[in-house]
Amino acid sequence: MSGSIPNSLEELPVSEIRWIGKGVERLEDPSLVTGRTEFIDNVVLPGMLHCAILRSPYAHARIVSIDSSAAEEMEGVYAVITGSDAARLTNPATTAPEGWGGYCLAHEKTRFVGEPVVAVAATNRYLAEDALELIIVEYEELPVVANAQAALAADAALLFEEHGSNVMLQRKFTWGEVDEAFDQADLVVSDDYRWNRLGANPMETFGCVVDWNPADDMLTCRGSFQSQSHMGLARSLVLGLPSNQVRMISHPHGGSFGGKGGFRGVDICALLSKAASGRPVKWMEDRLEYLLAGAGQSWDREYRLQLALKKDGTVTGLRVKLLDDMGGTAEAFGAVSAAKPLAAFTGCYAIQAAEYDLTLVATNKIPQSPYRGMGPPPHNWVLEQTMDKAARELGLDPAEIRRRNYIPADAFPYTIASGNEYDSGNYEAALDELLNMADYERLCAERDSAQAEGRLLGLGLANTIEPGVFDWNAYAIVGLESTGVPEGITVAIDVMGRITARLGFSLEGQGQYTLVAQVLADYFAVTPADVSIVYQDSLSAPPHFGPGGSRLGVAITGAALGAARLLERKLARVAAVLLQCGPDDVELMDGFLRVRAMPEARMHFAEVAGAMLARSDLLPEDSDPQPQATYVWTAPGRTPADEQGRAKSYLTAANACHLVKVEVDRDTGTVDILGYWLVDDCGTRLNPVTVEGQTMGGIAQGVGAALLEEYVYDESAQPLTSSFMDYLLPSVYEVPRVEKKALTTPSPFTPLGAKGCGEGAMHTTPAAIMCAINDALSPLGLSAREVPASPRRLWKLLHENAD
Amino acid sequence: MDEDKPARVAVTVTVNGRRLSAELEPRTTLADFLRVDLGLTGTHLGCEHGVCGACTVLLDGRAVRSCIMLAVQAAGHEVTTIEALANEGELHPLQQAFVDKHGLQCGFCTPGFIMAAAELLERDPDPTEQALLETLGGQVCRCTGYEAIIESVRDAAEKLRQQGVGPLELLAAALEKNAAPGGGE
Repeated sequence: MSGSIPNSLEELPVSEIRWIGKGVERLEDPSLVTGRTEFIDNVVLPGMLHCAILRSPYAHARIVSIDSSAAEEMEGVYAVITGSDAARLTNPATTAPEGWGGYCLAHEKTRFVGEPVVAVAATNRYLAEDALELIIVEYEELPVVANAQAALAADAALLFEEHGSNVMLQRKFTWGEVDEAFDQADLVVSDDYRWNRLGANPMETFGCVVDWNPADDMLTCRGSFQSQSHMGLARSLVLGLPSNQVRMISHPHGGSFGGKGGFRGVDICALLSKAASGRPVKWMEDRLEYLLAGAGQSWDREYRLQLALKKDGTVTGLRVKLLDDMGGTAEAFGAVSAAKPLAAFTGCYAIQAAEYDLTLVATNKIPQSPYRGMGPPPHNWVLEQTMDKAARELGLDPAEIRRRNYIPADAFPYTIASGNEYDSGNYEAALDELLNMADYERLCAERDSAQAEGRLLGLGLANTIEPGVFDWNAYAIVGLESTGVPEGITVAIDVMGRITARLGFSLEGQGQYTLVAQVLADYFAVTPADVSIVYQDSLSAPPHFGPGGSRLGVAITGAALGAARLLERKLARVAAVLLQCGPDDVELMDGFLRVRAMPEARMHFAEVAGAMLARSDLLPEDSDPQPQATYVWTAPGRTPADEQGRAKSYLTAANACHLVKVEVDRDTGTVDILGYWLVDDCGTRLNPVTVEGQTMGGIAQGVGAALLEEYVYDESAQPLTSSFMDYLLPSVYEVPRVEKKALTTPSPFTPLGAKGCGEGAMHTTPAAIMCAINDALSPLGLSAREVPASPRRLWKLLHENAD
Repeated sequence: MDEDKPARVAVTVTVNGRRLSAELEPRTTLADFLRVDLGLTGTHLGCEHGVCGACTVLLDGRAVRSCIMLAVQAAGHEVTTIEALANEGELHPLQQAFVDKHGLQCGFCTPGFIMAAAELLERDPDPTEQALLETLGGQVCRCTGYEAIIESVRDAAEKLRQQGVGPLELLAAALEKNAAPGGGE
């Protein structure tokens, strides 16, 4: 259906574009700044009970016995459930890779600290937590698998005995003549790296209110669901209900960043509701639960990266070896993060021989979840830092070695070694713009003189691709093999001529409703304020997926334009009857249906819609009298993955080039960011203000990743970061002010040329900061190869290794 | 059985200009009292251990974290929440500034930021960079990267200075009206 979508602003039926591409004020904001938005914790239903969850204190233990009798007898307690109820009434979690999931409550044994063991529903949360105090669980501790290396040991305890090993996935992908590239290299550069666990931590934790109506077996789940339909299908599989008896109602969420999970919470509440005769049950995860065992831990990685180079700095081969600690199960789809780097494996570079040697293991840590960027941020870091190492060995400037390896601007669309196709880009232009803007020469001189004085001042340059508009095929190598991710919007005109768009995702902060209103306002020559956006639940909305994989801005632009075009055709048909001409003689322009040859003969779209709604008797017999249309947009031309995982997966490839100036304090190991510049290119910027907001948010999370954020476990896999005093989020003090510029290389494949840009700077910032730290340390012959580069780590590096 | 139940205590507190009495379990947090008992759900809970600042409200004009304060501690005091700021649908200058400067994305932390900023600007209408950072440094936002929040507070400060009025002063009239018999909540 892609032929029905206008591909450029010039094709829109207005003489002047007033809203698209402008920093339009967000429709979402008045409700948010007044505290009126209905976040899930605001929801109260009649008879609603509150859930509290008793969690495992051990990383790996057999459950010997559970005595919940005292809790069951407590006044105000309506239901108590355990793993044996879950095993009796549900199926194990759907997982990727398949077969590495448990029940929503631990059955027979626990696999990580914080795993739910018993759940209680009571009349309020205080009482529910009181009831937990009365439950006695007897455990028998099992040997613990504390990290990825331990998981591979011959005598390691097994997380899932039936697999006979802790290895969830081990595969090597070879693209092109990799051995040849390394055999014939003038120089091979190699390093080992460690990226520690971190995660999403949206300011709102996950919450849900679930009721399982015993009368009609209908399950209604309200919650902060990032992808309601996906979540609903999984619930239907786990809970054994037909898919059309699971209704997901998603509330606006207070941030998501990929980590808005809650599979177990929803299933637990469903079972509690069933046990409590269908009363609704609310679970609001608290922050301690989130940090302990929420969907907020990602990317626990050991890397070895090798580059094969020619003397002139041309990279001819790339080998990446990854060992990723997935935690206790594969229930939260964290494995997609190990697959997504295929979408941009060689970054901005034209490297046609590459290898990915991938091992995913189960340990007794919290299961990994997705997080903004979904895997490439660590991959980008190790690639960019190794590029710098190669530059140092060859005596090249970091900018120069990058320039020599860029995919040339005239080579697009360009298929990278790992199979994805980049749509468009001009990487050298972005680099030049950045170096000019920051006055790179002056910065280098300043760095050199500071280093000559013994100061640890460094510059970091990093450029990356942000794959945009995901497709499932990108994750085929971890078991998600389908192709096609739909997004539908229905556009309707009411009897007063007002426009309403209906869609299937709730707000999480990127301003998507405003974007839909912008597009429709320009199509029908009204204002965004004249457009209402109405959210619909999973059983009511047109086919949808929602936000994820930097897709929604592009997808809803396509859906809104497609629906508007279909609606225009419907209106034109009716107008032709009313204006007494042929349907092909009528066109929409500036809100009026007019006769092409006689533009003064025209009717406003509101009049035509009014006629349809009021006088369907006047319409031709076979015509649909509803002034509304639905369009479902799906990324065109996606291909199934081949046996080496290669596919046209992500539709767009935005690029960014960042430059950071840092100083490392020799005495404390702290890093100060002294300057930050960036140039990015995500094609047409549909709302530049919200795009910039995404960039800045990504920088903040990138600063956290590079310097602060880490989930720490001890040798028995006990988590040591259980509060925001231990898990450090960036504050206003740590996030730098940034000088920014945008280039615009439109995508040839998307409606209006926009590219996915929601993950943005998260792809680049960690790499840029780490490159800067290493530039600062290079005169000492030291390199920082562990993230986050915390003061403790850098201090140890400086004082245990330097003179 | 009754002696097992936590005793309830009577609390009288003024919330957004309206005097209220309630009987509460002593362990009820101020945040839960506002959100659950009074339905003032604009105050959000982000961490419930006093770090993120999402639950910031004003107690006698001073910013406090309602998640780590008990409702009984507010007895006899005046509490102001985000719900008091907009007046008959017109946004407070602080709220308007956050809209104008894109100082929010998901908006979950925003009421806390606005209340903290309200306290600062009432005390210090033209805050230095340092004073701004000290106030905003106590609040966590995961979406914006802060730059736009700083701009928002600066913008509000400037508009309020032009009007010659403090952010809380501006509330006084509206609150008085609400507190009057028959006034809306």
